[in-house]
Amino acid sequence: MKQGIWIAVVATALCVLPLVFNSDVALTILVFSYLQGMLAVSFNLIFGFTGQLSMFHAAAFGIAAYATHLFMQHLGVAYWSATVLAAALVAAVSVVVGAICFRFRLREFYFAVVTLAFSEMARLTVLNWNSLTNGSLGINLQEKPPLWLPGTGIVKLESTLAWYYLSLVALGATLLVCGRMVHSWMGRCFAAIRMNDELGDTLGINVFRYKLTAFVVGNMMAAVAGSLYAYFLGSLEPGFLSIDQSLGIVAMVLLGGRSVVAAPVVGAFVLTTLPHLIHFSAEIRSIVYGAILIFTILVMPQGIYGGLWQIMRRRHAA
Amino acid sequence: MWQLIVGQLLNGAIVGTLYGIVALGVTLTFGITGIVNFALGVFMMLGAYAAWYFADTVGLPYPLAVLTAVVVTSFAGLVADQALFRFTRNNLVNGLLVSIGMIAVMESSALLIWTSTPKEMHHVLPGVFAFFGLVVPKMKLVVFGLLLAVIFATYAALTKTWSGRAAYAYAQNAEAAALMGVPTSRLQTGVVAYSTGLAGLAGALYASLYSLEPTLGSLFILKAVEAAILAGIGSVAGALLGGIILGVTEGVGSIYLPLAFRDAYGLVFLVVILLFKPSGLFAGRR
Repeated sequence: MKQGIWIAVVATALCVLPLVFNSDVALTILVFSYLQGMLAVSFNLIFGFTGQLSMFHAAAFGIAAYATHLFMQHLGVAYWSATVLAAALVAAVSVVVGAICFRFRLREFYFAVVTLAFSEMARLTVLNWNSLTNGSLGINLQEKPPLWLPGTGIVKLESTLAWYYLSLVALGATLLVCGRMVHSWMGRCFAAIRMNDELGDTLGINVFRYKLTAFVVGNMMAAVAGSLYAYFLGSLEPGFLSIDQSLGIVAMVLLGGRSVVAAPVVGAFVLTTLPHLIHFSAEIRSIVYGAILIFTILVMPQGIYGGLWQIMRRRHAA
Repeated sequence: MWQLIVGQLLNGAIVGTLYGIVALGVTLTFGITGIVNFALGVFMMLGAYAAWYFADTVGLPYPLAVLTAVVVTSFAGLVADQALFRFTRNNLVNGLLVSIGMIAVMESSALLIWTSTPKEMHHVLPGVFAFFGLVVPKMKLVVFGLLLAVIFATYAALTKTWSGRAAYAYAQNAEAAALMGVPTSRLQTGVVAYSTGLAGLAGALYASLYSLEPTLGSLFILKAVEAAILAGIGSVAGALLGGIILGVTEGVGSIYLPLAFRDAYGLVFLVVILLFKPSGLFAGRR
């Protein structure tokens, strides 16, 4: 119950925030943080809760971003239908990749390597299929998705404020789905698989099915984040599918914390905001990013959220 | 046509030994510390730049520059091990992430120091060997021979010397090895320094063949890890064979298949191996 109150307070604060603090730059950064947060939360379903270090997350994100644009252009469907189709495409790809990996019982490092291999193949395909994807130059996305809003009817999403609420809702939905999954019977199965999948198997848990479920659901949420991200940014490039992107997601999750559903959002927020607050060159930014990653792992293995929680509990007990 | 194929076979084998020697470092580090150290790629980059610096800027003769580069990289490896990797022993995911953080830091530092403009070293050994219509640069053959010699020397040291056998014993059962009087922490540090030294050697020799960029290690380490897994992680001779198989697959593959997907052939091969023979091609053999 106490948790419910906290969630309501934070949600209300975030809804009211743009009315009080209406800066276009700040809102833009927040939109990016929310969309990255969506990626991190959905990745954590696979990594933190089910224990599978997937390197396919950036691929799911990027494939959906490209697919949304291509469906709109070549099938002539509207943005939201294209997003649904893209998510379906990513789901289909994830089922194939996941089924291969899990059927052959690839674990830990081997799972990471094989998903990385599939992810690289997807990136090379996007990079080299020039007629569809325009190769390394990427694509400029001119149009903005339409949305029905109470009071104004159907509008094109032009203003940052509209995007702010859209991304907030999307992040909220992601948190809700992940939270419901993790705190259910299915979540218990995920935990069993994370701790010892062979033991889970002997206890009658269908390890293959639950690993695949986590993988596919996580990737589908990444897919939605991908098509939103691309259309907010207004461009597409093969870098969406890069290894660096996958590692960035891992860093957000580790920095935030992997034991709580919402914790990765903190990591996403810090890593997205930091470069905007302090103007570094790209190299220095990368050095800071690497240092944060090393520091988190060696000094704060539970992440910011986990660390703060522990301090608070210690004070409470004292 | 056959000249092209044989040429690519040879070229693939030579590049493959470079993959192989870094893969050897990956395998040794994994056997002793239980982590896959992706940061070996940046040590290779460090070795390459060090060799270039000592040979072209300081003006040392090339063999001496290579030696200095190896010493510098092993020392850097030692420092990194004591400062960072000491805390991630036998924790695969944490080790992986720390090495990734280290790649970000070192690669960007290299970009700041040496910029992204490729550096060309002077030609150490110009000239080519020509036989049966095939042309191979002399330097490539020297590098090939040298790397093979180092790999076989490592193999001999691991099987014939006391500390080599201690390393094997430690990889098989750490506790039993400690009980038999193996100085485990010194062994771990030694093997890590040796592995980074191997990566540094690969880099220093690479510098004499190709131009240098700060990102050269990242591509190489992926290939080296592929080679090590391909062979079955833990196998010394397998690391070399895995590297050569990978190099040849890429070389010959790019004749018949589109060049743009060159980096993907090894990956496809790797996925197939992992699915059908997860312990690697040469598992169970040393």
